[in-house]
Amino acid sequence: MSDKQDPGDSPPVSPLPSAGPSDPVASVLERLRAAIAGGVTSRAEFERLKGQFLGREKGLVPTLFAGVRDLPPAERAGFGARANAAKREIEETIGRLSQEISRRESETRERAAAVDVTLPGRRPRTGAHHPLTIVRRRIEEIFLRMGYSIADGPELENDFYNFEALNFPPEHPARDAQDTFFVERPAKSPLLLRTHTSPVQVREMRLRGAPLRMIMPGRVYRKDEVDATHSPIFHQVEALVVDRGISMADLKGTVETFLSELFGPGTRARFIPTFFPFVEPGADIHMSCIFCKGAGCAKCKGSGWIEIMGAGCVHPSVLAGSGIDPETYTGFAFGGGIDRLALLLYGFPDLRLLFEGDERFLAQYSGKLLGDPS
Amino acid sequence: MKFALEWIDEFLASPPPADRARALLDQAGLPVESVEDGAARGGPVFDVEITPNRPDAMSHRGLAKEIAAMSGTGLAAGGDVPAAPGAGAGGGEPVESSASVTIEVPRLCRRFGALLLRGISDAPASERVRARLAAIGAKSINAAVDATNYALWGIGQPLHAFDFDKLPGGVVVVRKARRGEKLVTLDGVERRLEPSDVVVADAHRPISLAGIMGGLETAVTEKTRHVLLEAAWWDPAAIRRTARRLAMHTDASHRFERGADIAAIPEALSLAANRILESAGGALARGLLDVRGTPVKARRAVLRLDRLRILSGDAGLTIEFARDALARLGFQPKVRGRRISVEIPSARLDVSIEDDLVEEVLRVYGYDRLPSRLPPATVPGRHLEPRRIVEESLSDGAVAAGLYETIGYPFVDRAVSERPFALWLEAAGMGEPLTLANPLDENRAALRATLLPGLLDALSANARHGRPDAALFEVGRAFGRKDGDPEDPPSLESRRFAFALTGAARTHWSAQPSGRSFDFYDAKGLIERVLEPWIAPEDLVWKPAEMEGFARGAAAWVETAVGVLGVVGLVSATEREKRSLPEAAFVGELLVDRIPTLPRQARFAPYSSFPPIDADLSFSHPRELSWEELAAFLSGRDLSALESFRVADRYEGPGVPAGRTKTTVRLTFRSKERTLSQEEVNRETDRLAAALREQFGVVF
Repeated sequence: MSDKQDPGDSPPVSPLPSAGPSDPVASVLERLRAAIAGGVTSRAEFERLKGQFLGREKGLVPTLFAGVRDLPPAERAGFGARANAAKREIEETIGRLSQEISRRESETRERAAAVDVTLPGRRPRTGAHHPLTIVRRRIEEIFLRMGYSIADGPELENDFYNFEALNFPPEHPARDAQDTFFVERPAKSPLLLRTHTSPVQVREMRLRGAPLRMIMPGRVYRKDEVDATHSPIFHQVEALVVDRGISMADLKGTVETFLSELFGPGTRARFIPTFFPFVEPGADIHMSCIFCKGAGCAKCKGSGWIEIMGAGCVHPSVLAGSGIDPETYTGFAFGGGIDRLALLLYGFPDLRLLFEGDERFLAQYSGKLLGDPS
Repeated sequence: MKFALEWIDEFLASPPPADRARALLDQAGLPVESVEDGAARGGPVFDVEITPNRPDAMSHRGLAKEIAAMSGTGLAAGGDVPAAPGAGAGGGEPVESSASVTIEVPRLCRRFGALLLRGISDAPASERVRARLAAIGAKSINAAVDATNYALWGIGQPLHAFDFDKLPGGVVVVRKARRGEKLVTLDGVERRLEPSDVVVADAHRPISLAGIMGGLETAVTEKTRHVLLEAAWWDPAAIRRTARRLAMHTDASHRFERGADIAAIPEALSLAANRILESAGGALARGLLDVRGTPVKARRAVLRLDRLRILSGDAGLTIEFARDALARLGFQPKVRGRRISVEIPSARLDVSIEDDLVEEVLRVYGYDRLPSRLPPATVPGRHLEPRRIVEESLSDGAVAAGLYETIGYPFVDRAVSERPFALWLEAAGMGEPLTLANPLDENRAALRATLLPGLLDALSANARHGRPDAALFEVGRAFGRKDGDPEDPPSLESRRFAFALTGAARTHWSAQPSGRSFDFYDAKGLIERVLEPWIAPEDLVWKPAEMEGFARGAAAWVETAVGVLGVVGLVSATEREKRSLPEAAFVGELLVDRIPTLPRQARFAPYSSFPPIDADLSFSHPRELSWEELAAFLSGRDLSALESFRVADRYEGPGVPAGRTKTTVRLTFRSKERTLSQEEVNRETDRLAAALREQFGVVF
């Protein structure tokens, strides 16, 4: 059949199918192939080609069908079938060509509108939490996972909660370590700005009784002159657990777990006896230097250890004064400065930066993991 | 506090190497902060941190006792401390024949000991005394004064040396100061005394501020021939009161405030006397003047093995270990079954109860040897203060909106910085300022009643540093609620959320024109957004606010059903200029205590699946007609299928008469049952237009 015609054998195309020896159907197909091979690049060329073959009036395809009339009746059916096949082929080819032209056109358009992908992106504007908030929330999250609740207390306190109930007798030198801002407003127990978060322990124990397990983050005040390592306001967090059989061993395990969660596995803790009026026994907690991993460096003054928190078992007088029987319940407490932890984690040089409200400082910490100081 | 290792070693039976000594002091809770490697000073000098409960450790012998107890190696016999002089010590005239001591305040002076040295010459202290004092940074003056310092640093008992010839009749009286009495102390300062001060006096006048500093007039000089050495025990609270009142702090007061060892008095006197005699000659009068006040009771305590095991968490601790540890520390333990009763050494004023003994045993045991474990699991934790959850949510909302959190100092000059916001403070329920009795800066003695001035200052700092486009917020407390009760401190506090915005709302190179300034609606929208989890924006009522701190006509009160919740607005020109802030500077503050702590509940609301038709209505109206009135009117119309409406545009300028505003309202119609026709929508819109014309006389 004519399908098998070799295009190479075709005679040159003529504008009109002739009743010559060559087959007009094959000839039309041949002309299309030739036209496409010649290259159709623009929409205008394409439209011309489409008109030439498929144009309603003078298109080669309608003309082909028009020629059927001139054929002998016996050939008409065969010719008709071949012409229809050719028409389908031509329509498909032109359809594909149309798509190709559209594709090329849009490609050209897009190239013209190409962006410089290296120009800055327009990031959705987000702000940032204060680094102390980030560290505080990290600490809160660690303790929440360990089943601690988060308690809150007033920054304006009185002598009773800040000192007396915590076993600081009046006229005791232990008060000297906590230079206190006193507030001028007459009250039975003198008003002051709390010097530590420990008064929240007393408030919570009196409110809730035993057992309890909580942390107390918050702002505290001491009359310190402002310099790189001292600020009249700073922030503490302390943990308190009161239950039957709570011991120094529970304190050690909890502190070690907390430090490993905050500073990474392998952070070790060392406990040294010390004195706080509201604990007995009392301990200072030193952690293995996070900068030199305990080898000794300038940051830890060569000792391999950094003093980080205070701790101890809750003093029986503090428990009893808060309405908890110290024979039935024992407890531990430990705590430290959030500002100092932030300073260790982020490595900024001066505590004053925390309170200046400079966006260049405030923008540095959000959306990132806590720093790994090593 | 500095201590020479060589001096400590003198008291030890087998002195350990420096590293070991340091480790033992750490274990004891007397950490060595630093070590000076003083070859020139005869060995290392330790800088030891001594907590205020351990006055007994504030001497070379005190530290030696701790090292000995921790290591279990024991003390050397005597050292250079001679046996305490008894009544038979010294020679010649008995001291009682020339001197007398009377204690008029027996509770405040429990013991007063004195030795009399006759015929001394003016001489420097011995080479050894001077070298030791120099090693720890103490000055040498003369044999008598150096000897008292030597005893203080050697065994911890402060002493004082009087020029005996200046005490008429050798009479010494320990009493309260009399009103109007004065004393020039050794430092040359004249001190006005109060009847609460304890003094050592002669027959007529005070000669020493007890336990703090001696008087200048009776001090030992190069002319002194006879010396009366004093060593006493003073009431800590009394010493502290006087020292604080007079702002004095001396080596003596430091120890007496914390509590001295009443038993060390005779040996301290003996030690100092020997040091004087060895270099200044002279002779010790016979006998020790030893006058007692109210007796100090022997103190006892009991340690139960069970308590030791519970508090330590170490079931391996034995009664034998506890007994040995307490014995090493000088507690004379006696075991009865599972209990140990002890006699507390007179120097250990920090020990009184059973748990103190637990700490003593654990110090010797070593905290590092204690086991480590976690308390058993329990219920999940949560925020106990619901307002903290509100604060955290406000903070998250502000960060999501692009603001940076800041923290400011709460110390202000109320009259200057907060006065422009006085009306706000009143609305917020703030009363008279709370002021500090002892502020760092007299000009900032008040506690803040609003966070706004602090935020404005922070904006200003940012502007100075080249960031005029700053967006900051703070969550914190203000102080001085009018309804607060001073007996209940929390009731005086007020929780706040505040923010400040300046300059361009958003800057990006592609924005044309480059960015726009923040405006009132940014500030208002921020409040609506951060409150959304707690209060629906439509439940907030906005009313114009006027006060000095805000530009006229560009500030608002935010209210809810319970009253004023906050304030927001454009900062007034005066406040901006004070701080060199850009023109677009907005601040706002909310009262967190007035935000409901019950969060809004999310519920599914069904919506239409048919297409909407929008219709715009543009009309002009007097400026005074507020959107609130228009919106209320629109909401009140019963328009069929009106889904929502909003302001699409506001315009004033050419084409709109002066005093009038052109508002375009975009109405969105949508049916839940069917697709609407344009004709229906037009009909409704026309109806609405007619109603607006009738109600407000708007012009289309």
